[in-house]
Amino acid sequence: MLEAKNLTMKYEDGLLALDHLNFKVEPGEIFCMFGANGAGKTTTINLFLNFIQPTEGTALIEGIDITKEPLKSKDYVSFVSENVMLYDNFSAFQNISYFSKLAGKRNLTKDDYAQVFKRVGLQEEAFNMRTKKFSKGMRQKLGIAIAIVKDAPNIILDEPTSGLDPRSGQEFLELLLELRDKGNSIFMSSHDIFRAKYIADNVGFMMKGKMVMLQSKEELKGQDLNKLYVEYMQEHTDSE
Amino acid sequence: MLRDIITKEIQDMIMSPRFVFTFLLCTILILLSIYTGINNYQAEQKEYSAAVALNRKNLESQQSYGTLAGLGTKINRKPQVLSTVVNGVQEAVGRVATVNIAYDPSMIDSKYSSSPIFAIFGALDLIFIVKIVLSLFAILFTYDAIVGEKERGTLKLALSNRIPRDRLILGKAIGGFISLLIPLVIPVVLGLLILMIYPNISLSGDDWLRLGIICVMFLLYLSVFFTLGLFVSARTSRSSTSFLLLLFIWVTFVTIIPKAAIMIAGQINPIPSVHEITAQKDAYLQEIQKEAGVEQTKYFKDNPRPKEPDKIAKWNEDIRKWAEDLQQSLTGKIDEKNAAIERDYQTKMRGQQRLAVNLSRISPASALMFSSMSLARTGINEHERFLNSVKTYKPIFTKWINEKMIRSLNLEGGQQPKPELDDMPQHEFMPERFSDSFSRIMPDLVLMVFLIILFFIGAYVSFIRYDVR
Repeated sequence: MLEAKNLTMKYEDGLLALDHLNFKVEPGEIFCMFGANGAGKTTTINLFLNFIQPTEGTALIEGIDITKEPLKSKDYVSFVSENVMLYDNFSAFQNISYFSKLAGKRNLTKDDYAQVFKRVGLQEEAFNMRTKKFSKGMRQKLGIAIAIVKDAPNIILDEPTSGLDPRSGQEFLELLLELRDKGNSIFMSSHDIFRAKYIADNVGFMMKGKMVMLQSKEELKGQDLNKLYVEYMQEHTDSE
Repeated sequence: MLRDIITKEIQDMIMSPRFVFTFLLCTILILLSIYTGINNYQAEQKEYSAAVALNRKNLESQQSYGTLAGLGTKINRKPQVLSTVVNGVQEAVGRVATVNIAYDPSMIDSKYSSSPIFAIFGALDLIFIVKIVLSLFAILFTYDAIVGEKERGTLKLALSNRIPRDRLILGKAIGGFISLLIPLVIPVVLGLLILMIYPNISLSGDDWLRLGIICVMFLLYLSVFFTLGLFVSARTSRSSTSFLLLLFIWVTFVTIIPKAAIMIAGQINPIPSVHEITAQKDAYLQEIQKEAGVEQTKYFKDNPRPKEPDKIAKWNEDIRKWAEDLQQSLTGKIDEKNAAIERDYQTKMRGQQRLAVNLSRISPASALMFSSMSLARTGINEHERFLNSVKTYKPIFTKWINEKMIRSLNLEGGQQPKPELDDMPQHEFMPERFSDSFSRIMPDLVLMVFLIILFFIGAYVSFIRYDVR
């Protein structure tokens, strides 16, 4: 479970990147956070991964306060970045082997990795290929494979579908649904409303560090999420 | 986990094109430098043997002690076997000194004076490869060690796991350094094997010890640039910025500081030129020669040749004794005066040199040069020690030749006896002991260790606070 309680981040230059953010991602749930560039999506992720310290509030992973126990909290979360860039000179096997060891998974075999690769849809000929030859879609698949191998109950994804072709994007979302169904809590920041609306259990709209809308799938039923997003953004821009 | 990080660093580096390029280039350059060093050393050994034999032949061919006194003897400096790896200053400062009764000895006939073309580019010895090429590679290996991972996004991915930052930086440092050592150690070991099996090259236990410490100095020097690279990489947010900054620091350390230190020392502690010193010595020599003329005139005026034939033998003996005393006294005065001028000059020069050395020591490149040359006994100190030994030998030779010359003086105008060299005092030079060389390199060693610690702490602290976003 991921939880933000009054999470606030004010940078040294005075910029309020996050303003008392509150949300919760339960096990078996996908939370999609939308917002324009600079809305605070990536700041939220950076706070959950303890890359920056909140000025106020707390971020909890499985109930562990990340500022108090940053290393312990990382045992319970996997991260997939927007552009999964790995060690180019390494093969997919070497990359996943290194990151799984960092994640504390030391006893996995090549067969275990191969199974995960197959699960994420990576072709067999790519297993031993240097990742410098990988397409964006293949990289994302490898990124999610690394996250799966870590076997953490929570997954944080930073705009994972941006730049993916329709087929790769669809495959990627299906993977996320599979992980959700296995009980993972998934937090995903995105611009990609078209794709994300099919998988999101809860949706949040961010604007200038604030969560301006938070609705569940049920609440969103029958609504055009894309239209809703534009309206919300318009409304909050006008009100300022 | 630390082992995994180290292994990954080594694998990542070894599989990169820059490693392959570095390894090939280092292997070629290091082996070439050692091969060139061996050839040069063998050529110098031949030259040395030939020069010693020629000097002996020249001495033996002299017809009188008088001509021998004027010609003098040539003292050749024996080539150092470790010049195969550290060429030092020997090619620039001269290989031979002439000792005669008139002039103060100095080293002449350097390789550069006989073949100035060598002076343009200098020698391609192992120390040049380490100082210039490998230090650049150390930068090339580390400029993106941290910032490159940030740019790639792998740092974020790595730190999203339960991995303490201190362990990550330590693993990166150890793994990266091992990767850097591979292109150095393998060719150096091969080069040393060549040195061992090459005919006419014999290294004593002391030489091997010195060589071992030279290799340690190489490692320390590379560690300085390696940790500096890590430090700068952990302080910058773009790898291009890191590379440019490191290149600037490298140029400053390797080329600007050593040259600037010499210029600054020259400004702060100016010394008279060699020509001024020679002019002072020549002026005194002329003064003495004038004095000798006056004494001679006075003596012959006071002691005219007796008319009685039975007194001539005694008169001759008196003259011989008077001349010997006068000669010893005048050459003694010359030596004393020259020594005083030289002492003054040497004191000033040493002061300037010390200042230049200490100023340039800020640069690890200078520290490497000074320490390696001291250990290889091819540096300025060993050159000065040798020259001092020649200067110490000069009065011994002068005394001997004066005695011989006066004793052989034939005032009747008959043939002078041919010089006999059996009892001619020989020049002896004891190369610096290891313990002395080691204590001489201590400041350089301490400085390099200090810089390594400083840069590593800098890198460590910077990485702990590093913004990985």
